[in-house]
Amino acid sequence: MKDRRFPGFLALTLLVLPLLLAAQIPRPEAPAAAVLDGRELPLPVAINPAGPAFGLSALVNNLGGTLAPGATAESASLTLEGKEVVIGIGSAIITVGDSVVPLSQPVVRGEGGTLMVPVDFLRKTYGDVLGYSFDWRPESQRLVIGRRAARELPVLLDVVHLQGMTTVVLQFPEEPRYQIKRRTGAVDVQMLGDRLAPPPRHPVQDPFVQDVTITPEQVHIQVGAGLDVASYVLNNPFRIVFDVHQPSAVETPAAPMAPGVPSGGPPGIHTIVVDPGHGGTETGAIGPSGVMEKDLTLLLARELESRLSSRLGVRVVLTRGEDATLPLDDRAAIANQNKADLFISIHLNSSLGTGAHGAETYFLSAEASDAKAAKAAAAENAPAAVAPPPGDTKEEVKDLELILWDLAQSRHLSESQRFATLIQTELNEALQLRDRGVKQAPFIVLKGAEMPAVLVELGFISNPDEEKKLQDAAYRGALVDSLTKAVGRYKEQVEARPAPAAPAPAGNPGNAAPQPVGAVPHQPTPAPPQATPKPNPGHRP
Amino acid sequence: MNRKAAAFILGLALALIAGGAFWWWWQGKGNHVRLGPEPAESAGPTEKVSVELYFPADEGLRTEKRDLDVTASRKDRIRKIVAALLAGPVSGGAARPFPEGVMLGGVQLGEDGTAYLDIRWEGHADPPASGSTEEMQRVYSVVDSLTANIPEVKQVVLLWNGVQRETFSGHLDTSRPLLPNRTLLTP
Repeated sequence: MKDRRFPGFLALTLLVLPLLLAAQIPRPEAPAAAVLDGRELPLPVAINPAGPAFGLSALVNNLGGTLAPGATAESASLTLEGKEVVIGIGSAIITVGDSVVPLSQPVVRGEGGTLMVPVDFLRKTYGDVLGYSFDWRPESQRLVIGRRAARELPVLLDVVHLQGMTTVVLQFPEEPRYQIKRRTGAVDVQMLGDRLAPPPRHPVQDPFVQDVTITPEQVHIQVGAGLDVASYVLNNPFRIVFDVHQPSAVETPAAPMAPGVPSGGPPGIHTIVVDPGHGGTETGAIGPSGVMEKDLTLLLARELESRLSSRLGVRVVLTRGEDATLPLDDRAAIANQNKADLFISIHLNSSLGTGAHGAETYFLSAEASDAKAAKAAAAENAPAAVAPPPGDTKEEVKDLELILWDLAQSRHLSESQRFATLIQTELNEALQLRDRGVKQAPFIVLKGAEMPAVLVELGFISNPDEEKKLQDAAYRGALVDSLTKAVGRYKEQVEARPAPAAPAPAGNPGNAAPQPVGAVPHQPTPAPPQATPKPNPGHRP
Repeated sequence: MNRKAAAFILGLALALIAGGAFWWWWQGKGNHVRLGPEPAESAGPTEKVSVELYFPADEGLRTEKRDLDVTASRKDRIRKIVAALLAGPVSGGAARPFPEGVMLGGVQLGEDGTAYLDIRWEGHADPPASGSTEEMQRVYSVVDSLTANIPEVKQVVLLWNGVQRETFSGHLDTSRPLLPNRTLLTP
């Protein structure tokens, strides 16, 4: 029986299999293609798990641009209207101009070595720079490419001269497609496809900028001879900013500004903003026994508020008086809004190594307060959208405030260092803590503070001994006592200084209302260089 | 059921299984791009280079020398150095900068000397909560190790799960390129 059955099976299998295959294999379809202006263009397409990828060379041939090998074998460079796209082959991050753009999947080499790119690559490059739209239709294997209609964008112009530098701000409702052309004594912002709706023309009266002409095709900025022009962009709303200054003016550190005399008033320390580090969903460091930094900083800050008020007679504002999440920018903004003379951010430390202990005091590092670097950072980030507070008028949302945000603390570094040294000295003397010294770091909470500002680390809660001590109210009281003495000494120093000779508008009023915790303070009409919070850059923890 | 009918049904079932398997294989084959040569990042001859890695220890960073097999590609060097950091120190007393499970995603090296690193930790939207020293140990372990060993790397942008953050743990400004910080080095 066996001998008769198996040949039967075999014959049946051979008979049925081709029929099944014929039924299962899809009919050959037309190869994948791009559709542009009704024409079909051959386009290599690879369907990867993360989505389709398209042959870049075929698109470059039809949409324009220059594709060239990069500086190294594993990179390539795509140039679109003067904007360079750096492609790391095998990497899911590209750079478009100054922006780092993560992609949904890496750019890889396909058959024949052609670069295969995902659709978000195309949207971030050809879409954003040249205005194309891309729609992948998997059922027909077609990439439909559209041309975005030319937009007419209103532009707002602001020209401000301050502290030896003129800042020209061009504000748009959305990012235009443009390129910047520099010539001797002039800068042009030329539109690429888009058109501008010029505002009513007003003569420019500025020592550095002679004229600004806005036509539908371009913005022409005429500057004085021999001046440097630096440009960068800010987002939300999109702005192109030009700083016009004498050569090297930006690099020269500004003269240190004394605290307590923001507008020429009598020197003194009237208002102090105390910032309990972290809060809400941001726990900060967590000690071995589970003690959270955010809870101890709040206790310390409340105690400090009480002692500063009672002993020194100063007004004290806490950035948060409860366990609440508060963005870092808002903390310095609260200090600015309250016209504070000092800003103290209270933290507790942790270390990945064992045995770390002691206190240390930070002020902002020079690198973080460098104007150009800060601006570059602002340009790299696309901040999250922040709606202006209700009731804002156009005049009240000053571009200048956003620009000056990154520069705010740079004018107070020497005073911040002086104050930090006093704090560290008091902590060392009173508590016999290990002197970890005065340090500098690019701490974001200090950047926007328009007054001497420090971040003090009052011990390591990662260290079991210090964690235990920090839970003791008497020990915390001693820490706060040291901080109070340091503020007192600094206050004495400031008040011993001669008052500025030049008369000026009213100084620190000392009666501004504290802002609610968590609210984004709004300053209606601040006097420059008072900074208000800039929109939150990027993702927050 | 007679034997012939049983044999027919069995044969048909086998044919269906075989046909289905073939179809499955065929469809799978059609869905995957045939990649050309892999990126040159890890290709080419390797050489052994001696590097100094900076691992968190005590209150700062401690140097640990290693020999790494790298290609001429700068990105390969970046990857090898970061991989060695993520794998952790061999000497006692030092710590790994990131928890186990943290991996390196995309790497980019810009012409201006900015290295872009995508630090990835699946399932963790945020980097570990920490104090400022711990945050600096974590970040500058990478920044200092790369800038000290790869002359072309001048500064480093760190991304977390593909996103550039304002800060990793609430202190350091990571929204901008980070320059080396040699003050953290301990003997």
